[in-house]
Amino acid sequence: MKKVIAVLSLFLVLFLAACNNSSGANANGDSDANGPVEIEFWHAMSGPHEEAIKKFADDFNSAHEDITIKPVNQGSYDDLQQKIMAAAKAGNLPDMAQATTNVIPEYIDNKFITSLNDFIEDPEIGLSEDELNDYIEVFRDSSTWDDTYYSLPFSKSTRVLYYNQTLLEENGLEVPKTWDELQEVAKTVTKDGVVGMGFENSYEAEFQGILKQMGGTYMDEETGEPQFASKEGQEAMTFIKDMIDDGIARTAGEDEYMSNPFGRGDVAMYIGSSAGIPHVDGAMEDGIEWSTAPIPTLDGQAATTFAGNDVVIFNQSEEAEQKAAWEFMKYLTSPEVTSEWSMLSGYLPIRQSALDTEEYQTFLEENPAYKAGTEQFDAGFFIARVPGGDAVRNIVLEEMDYILQGMKSVEEGLTEAQDRAKAELQ
Amino acid sequence: MQKPTWKSTLKGYLYLLPALLILIVFSIYPIIKSFLMSFYTDYDFFNDTVNAYGFENFTKLFQDPNFITALKNTGIFVIGVVPLSIIISLAIAVLLNSKIKLSGFFRTIYFLPFVTSVVAVAIVWSWIFHSDYGLLNYALGLFGIDPINWLTNPTYAMPALIILSIWKGLGFNIIIFLAGLQNIGNQYYLAAKVDGASAWYRFKHITLPLLSPTMFFVSIISIINAFKVFDEIFALFNGRPGPANSALTVVYYVYQKFYEEWEFGLASAAAFVLFIIIFLFTIIQLIVGKKFVHYN
Amino acid sequence: MRKEALSKGTIYVLLSLGAILMLLPFVWMISTSLKAPNEVMAMPPVWIPSEWQFENYSSASEAAPFGTYFFNSIIVTVLTTIGELLTTILAAYAFSRINFHGKGVVFAVLLGTMMVPGEMLLIPNFVTVSNLGWIDSYEGLVIPWIASIFSIFLLRQYFFSVPQELSYAAKVDGCSDFKFLWYVMVPLAKPALITIALLKIIGSWNAFLWPLIVTNSQELRTLPVGLSAFTTEAGIKYELLMAASTMVILPMLLLFFVMQKYVISGVARSGLKG
Repeated sequence: MKKVIAVLSLFLVLFLAACNNSSGANANGDSDANGPVEIEFWHAMSGPHEEAIKKFADDFNSAHEDITIKPVNQGSYDDLQQKIMAAAKAGNLPDMAQATTNVIPEYIDNKFITSLNDFIEDPEIGLSEDELNDYIEVFRDSSTWDDTYYSLPFSKSTRVLYYNQTLLEENGLEVPKTWDELQEVAKTVTKDGVVGMGFENSYEAEFQGILKQMGGTYMDEETGEPQFASKEGQEAMTFIKDMIDDGIARTAGEDEYMSNPFGRGDVAMYIGSSAGIPHVDGAMEDGIEWSTAPIPTLDGQAATTFAGNDVVIFNQSEEAEQKAAWEFMKYLTSPEVTSEWSMLSGYLPIRQSALDTEEYQTFLEENPAYKAGTEQFDAGFFIARVPGGDAVRNIVLEEMDYILQGMKSVEEGLTEAQDRAKAELQ
Repeated sequence: MQKPTWKSTLKGYLYLLPALLILIVFSIYPIIKSFLMSFYTDYDFFNDTVNAYGFENFTKLFQDPNFITALKNTGIFVIGVVPLSIIISLAIAVLLNSKIKLSGFFRTIYFLPFVTSVVAVAIVWSWIFHSDYGLLNYALGLFGIDPINWLTNPTYAMPALIILSIWKGLGFNIIIFLAGLQNIGNQYYLAAKVDGASAWYRFKHITLPLLSPTMFFVSIISIINAFKVFDEIFALFNGRPGPANSALTVVYYVYQKFYEEWEFGLASAAAFVLFIIIFLFTIIQLIVGKKFVHYN
Repeated sequence: MRKEALSKGTIYVLLSLGAILMLLPFVWMISTSLKAPNEVMAMPPVWIPSEWQFENYSSASEAAPFGTYFFNSIIVTVLTTIGELLTTILAAYAFSRINFHGKGVVFAVLLGTMMVPGEMLLIPNFVTVSNLGWIDSYEGLVIPWIASIFSIFLLRQYFFSVPQELSYAAKVDGCSDFKFLWYVMVPLAKPALITIALLKIIGSWNAFLWPLIVTNSQELRTLPVGLSAFTTEAGIKYELLMAASTMVILPMLLLFFVMQKYVISGVARSGLKG
């Protein structure tokens, strides 16, 4: 009898020990006393973006013997956010991660990210006044909460208009500069299985942009109160919906991202993140010429949302690890890396000096597709940052889905979305 | 067997210990905990502290239009899957039971989907359902039917899900029906044949009545399983509950509240409602099914 | 004999049609997985690739660490299966051969919990596992699944069918309980144990929701979770997606072909579990 228990407990102990070892080594970036500090970096970058991140990590690792950066892809932004919440509770957060501006207030509230002020102000490893001011102001602002830096900007994008040059030329058309022109072009090229215009599944960014162009407000900057169900909001939504109902526009739908149907030549134009450029490049079928242009204007108004991610450091890591993560953070946002990152990914350089380098300017001349993104700095705007912003985004997308499917009228859907958003933010 | 003694009791529990330990921690305790959690109205997951209890989760739940949608969709799904699946699988089982060669071979094929990963086959089906390049729309096109937006039109999302689920679950029902059919004694049929009864008459008056316990059993199991659908939806619509929530089911709602929005109390309340529904069906099965136990 | 309602020929035709419909998704999956990108989207569909692109499989494995996912699925499947067999054998023996105080109550409680849908246990188990620090670890993936009431129930029935005389004979020979269980009962119950193991293997291999919520890092994802993540990671390249799906589906299909007798008999009984 004793034997049973002995054998069984031995088995369990061995098996747990084996698991502990492997998971300890795998899951958490904890380091040995002697070896280099291992820093786990969670991100949501895929494809060419992930390649670039891996390259930066490798470069950094070979330059720093005492630090090893381990980038880990966590799927989509939503997946990343869910995994961070789960890991925060279980106490096995990584050392650093990408985070959308939307979710950072929640991390601050739950006290698991590190304030970066101590690092920034540190005379040895910090940033000088000039260096700090070199970070582009709008991005710097979006990384501070009550004068405290909780993040640094990393992957920031604007929306751009992708167009199929070959198709437009075949039809003798110019690249549209205004929404009116865009509608005309879309009407003309919609035939033979081609749809003129495309919107990403997360086209709330376009809604926000058009709303702004129409003079409306999405969310009040000061109070964070959602105001998108206004007359302007309804017009903006109707504007998008009409194009889709008329058959001259579609959403990505089951293709997930517009780059897929655009690459196949099934869609002539679409609006998407400037960071989609390398993805489009990869999805493009041979023989199709394409490029990008700034977002069309409306009554002379230009507007595009800034979107994208910051990088944050978690406070569950030991001090040495946080320090090492800070080093990598500085590296990722250095002028050299941010300009290279921009050239590889389509994200915007986040340092003024990076924008101004000759290398970067030459690159833009040679790769005009990357130009539209940076041309729109002045037209770019951020949506108010509020805790619960991510939930609001999901509410808006859900109600917009109902509107588009004809299950709710524009007014009904937007009003409901606004009410739900208000309730969520209370 | 001897009467229980202290010694045999100790021995018994020692043998039970490993299983009991796991089952108590991961099956029995969570049942109680889940019930309690549905009354957590203010829960701090990070510190595992409860600040307030109450019934609000349940009132909130039934005021949430999404939960009502989830209940409704789950109902539609059950009604869409169960009867069709039973009719088709019964027909196939009867054909398989007609003493043909290759019966085992066919049974194997019909059963294949059952052993495969739901996620993987749902991804394959999402490719088949693709509106522009999918196999299904191509086939429909041969009959002059216009392409259907299976995965992006809320009207067709549920039918798409139902097709996938029937395909996946057919094999299971067929196996159970075959077992039931083989339990029906041949003498009934022989007697009927002597009487000159037609095949349809024999099916209606012998097979169906004698098979009714099996049918009842399959129905309840199918209903219970249909109430728990999740993986299919997650994979078919790529991590979303279908267009305009058209495939939002109760379990998906639980997942959303729990893992996407961290509303543990509300999620537990929804899970509890699911439990009540399933419990009712199980009770029906136990009460009505008692007299058919010999079939298992 | 009277004429049958349907001739043998009609039956074959009907069954074959059905079988084709059942197989079509698999055929289409494998066909797509071997195509060049331009043939994937071809209309009318191409069934047999003009050139077989086996490199789609290596491309998929490069795009995401399917080797790691595969390894994890095997580890988790093997550990949960061994664990469940051990706990089941011991518990079933206790319930069938040992008389102890409270046996009836314990058994009734366990049977009662079988009625509770697993989805209800998800949230508290997630909290428990994260309190234990088992999020993103093999412990979290394996330990909650190494005991099953249904298996205990199934094996207990089987043990009952072993004649009681055998155990008396063994006692006379001075055989200890444990030896008797291990050397007599277990070999006799082999068919039931194989069935239990196979159902567990299939269940573990295909499990999705639990591994999805308890794993964070790529290193610990199992195949279904990795496959689901792959749909967002790779953009939508159907030839790679189908190659990856084939990798997930094929091992279970092969296992089923070899062991189908046990699987089917087990499933016929597992209906109870739902």
